[in-house]
Amino acid sequence: MAQQQFIIERYNPDTEESYEESFDVDVQPGQTVLDSLNAIKWEQDGTLSFRMSCRHAICGSCAMKVNGQSMLSCQTQVDSAAERGDPIRVGPQGNQNVVKDLVVDVTKFLDQFDRAETWLEPHEGQDPPEKEYRQKVEEFDHWSHASTCIHCGACYSDCTVAAVDENFLGPAALAKAYRFVMDSRDSKREERLQFLSEEQGGIWDCTRCYMCVQACPKDVLPMDAIMELRTMAIEAGFTNNHGTRHHKGFTSGVRKRGRLDEMMLPVQSVGIGRLLTGNISAHKEMMDYTPGAIRLLKSRKLLKIAQRHGANAAGREQIQRIFEEVETEKHHHNVDAEAFGAEFETAIGGH
Amino acid sequence: MLQHDVLIVGSGLAGMRAALEVSNDPTLDVAILTKVHPLRSHSGAAQGGIAASLGNSAEDSWDLHMFDTVKGGDYLVDQDAAEVLTREGPENIFELEHMGCAFSRDDEGRVAQRRFGGHTAPRACYAADRTGHAVLTVLFEQLLRRGVKVYSEWYALDLVVKDNVCQGLVAYDILSGQIEAISAKAVMFGTGGYGRAFRVTTNAFASTGDGVVMAYRAGIPLEDMEFVQFHPTGLQGSGILLSEAARGEGAHIVNSDGFRFMENYAPGRMELAPRDIVARAEQSEIEAGRGVTALRDSVFMDLRPIGEDRIRYALPSVLHLARDFAGIDPLDAPVPIQPTAHYSMGGIPCDINGQVRIKDLDGAPEVTGFFAAGEASCVSVHGANRLGTNSLLEAVVFGRRAGRGILDVVHDLEPTNIAEGDMADAVGEVDKFLRADGPEKVGQIRAELRDTLMDKCGVFRDDAQLRECLGEVKEYQERFQRVAIDDHGSTFNTDLLDAIELGHMLEYSEVIVTGALARQESRGGHARRDFPTRDDDNWFRHTLAYRPRDGEDGPRLTYSDVNMTPQYREPFPLQERTY
Repeated sequence: MAQQQFIIERYNPDTEESYEESFDVDVQPGQTVLDSLNAIKWEQDGTLSFRMSCRHAICGSCAMKVNGQSMLSCQTQVDSAAERGDPIRVGPQGNQNVVKDLVVDVTKFLDQFDRAETWLEPHEGQDPPEKEYRQKVEEFDHWSHASTCIHCGACYSDCTVAAVDENFLGPAALAKAYRFVMDSRDSKREERLQFLSEEQGGIWDCTRCYMCVQACPKDVLPMDAIMELRTMAIEAGFTNNHGTRHHKGFTSGVRKRGRLDEMMLPVQSVGIGRLLTGNISAHKEMMDYTPGAIRLLKSRKLLKIAQRHGANAAGREQIQRIFEEVETEKHHHNVDAEAFGAEFETAIGGH
Repeated sequence: MLQHDVLIVGSGLAGMRAALEVSNDPTLDVAILTKVHPLRSHSGAAQGGIAASLGNSAEDSWDLHMFDTVKGGDYLVDQDAAEVLTREGPENIFELEHMGCAFSRDDEGRVAQRRFGGHTAPRACYAADRTGHAVLTVLFEQLLRRGVKVYSEWYALDLVVKDNVCQGLVAYDILSGQIEAISAKAVMFGTGGYGRAFRVTTNAFASTGDGVVMAYRAGIPLEDMEFVQFHPTGLQGSGILLSEAARGEGAHIVNSDGFRFMENYAPGRMELAPRDIVARAEQSEIEAGRGVTALRDSVFMDLRPIGEDRIRYALPSVLHLARDFAGIDPLDAPVPIQPTAHYSMGGIPCDINGQVRIKDLDGAPEVTGFFAAGEASCVSVHGANRLGTNSLLEAVVFGRRAGRGILDVVHDLEPTNIAEGDMADAVGEVDKFLRADGPEKVGQIRAELRDTLMDKCGVFRDDAQLRECLGEVKEYQERFQRVAIDDHGSTFNTDLLDAIELGHMLEYSEVIVTGALARQESRGGHARRDFPTRDDDNWFRHTLAYRPRDGEDGPRLTYSDVNMTPQYREPFPLQERTY
């Protein structure tokens, strides 16, 4: 048995006071952070509040920050959370309002699932089969990892976009939307892709920081799901949006010049066609860039960006080849998948 | 006062399935009230599967499933209920599948099925080893889709029943600390089980038998409370569940000699005998000194015969649980396991439509407007021992039936009205704890209670230990009167809820022990050292326990007959139970 110091970020809603409090806990080998919080609550200070229920990483109640990173306290061993002798800091989840101590108001996080309508929409006017829908093992295996979400909020808590944008649907709701886009039983694939592309706070707002994948205690891989959604949305033709234009401007610039054309990117993202036809909201969007541009001007960075040259001929050729190779590989992958699907349909008698 | 036509308490599979069914009638105002957000409900912890005779892997039928269930329950199963469970199983699975449930698939794209203990056919439909989570998630999604009102993080304090008519309940908003009366024409309890009273348990902290105690306090007798299932494969120490799916996939259980001892107890089924039989066998091996680890309080489960690829694909949770919570990698080494309190066979007595009934009285009169389903209820579909994968099925099948049962009657029920005076008990209870000043601590009494029940009312029981156990429970009840809490605030006061829950645990623990002491036989989950065989002449009957009235010093026990009248086939006659 060893003693471990815990520093807990507390909040008292009656006095509206935030403070840190230190507790020493006797820990056994294998003891978790949740066990330790319970030891504090039951033996030292019953006023300490936190959520918990299953204590084996399936109910999703006890996600909180341990040494600054969101994780399930029940799944986190004291030994792995701290170097011997160092205190362990425990605080509430981020990006949400604190209700009391380690309890946050999860409404904003959970409301995103409702907003993204993450439930199965059956095919209208079509009765389901008498038994089950048939679904290939390969199809199930492709998306089932995204269905393992326990809605603990760890990803949302550590999300760098949710930190600055109240509107962001967030990694969990987007991963769940992905799961339904991929599920052959769902009838709203197109509508979902359109919504996720065009909605404020949809798939194009992710900055690919990877924090959600790191925080997730399950195998959901939210960011990978978001990236796959982007590809599917473009392939489905939902390209008339800021995100896709940004993406296309980015890649076409690199393809042509061998490096990013940062001067053109804002114009391409807003849409050259929209600007030329006098689209008012497009011009407003351009105006949104002004404060940033002024800051860049002041710091003389804008000049440096404008003076940048493209890559030399050899470099451009090399980049061309990379593009071609990626595209060929992707084409083969799609052909294989289609052939497999046809084979499966034949095997099960075209159910 | 808040008001709904239908109020469902508990948001696990039973509660949510019932709410969905009721929401089919757009003229009805239905709400769910739950102390944890629906997605946190303990149904989500179920791992291995949900049974139904789909016959996707091998020939199967509902009759066979029914027979397995009746025999698995050591014949204390009400056969009308077992028939409903098994006949309606497949359509319920297909319905979940049509809602989008993430079931694993077989090579033909159908719902995959695997073997499970006590089932003669592979009939466990599964979503890897997170089946409860998959079903819970899909039901919540559909609830969102319907826009059903949810009182999330509200704690039900008191069920109001007057002249055998349910009026609604009194509940506590955990966020604000407000106490509110909620009247409803129909109330359904899907409040889950009561395994938390045992030291070693798979149950969530939330599984404190709140619903059964509220019913008991409202004058309704509790049925078969002495039947608590010990699951054979809990992680040593914590009791965290390792799915029976591990054995379904081919894991071995061995003692300190490396011997697969089930050979001596159930040679026909080995590790896939029903849970009561495997748990008793493990406990016998441990008590005979053939346990493993330094403590010799466990045996080994060895997953390696399954093969690494299949473990990774079909049992990812088992793999992670052993690594994260025991520090053992099942790919390299066997995992120490022990019997762990898992499932509550007993509960609130009700019929196959979820209608709560006083079964020991002539004609089994109903409690008007009060329904129950799932683990909180006792239909009794599991009898003395539940088969693995039958609990998820029960929650869904009987949740749906309770929903339909409510739809059948609710339009004829009168609106109810809870008076200020009806709230007095609940308000008084909260007030008492907030003001209490005494030397006793909730955590201390609770720890002692859990030790006592585990050690003296566990896998094996006998007269002397049960008497000691009962005495200790009463002592804890008495000490509980002098308990004080630290938190006197009104916002998210979990200290207060801990105290209220301990009160529930102390109350139902007395019922468990009293029923166990009286039942002088061994049947299913109730194994007496001093009465080692089943005694059908005297004990082929359900226990019903009434709360003591003034002057009585313990629960009053009565008994009722086991139902032997299934509708579509002959009943299965009593037989010796061997595997």
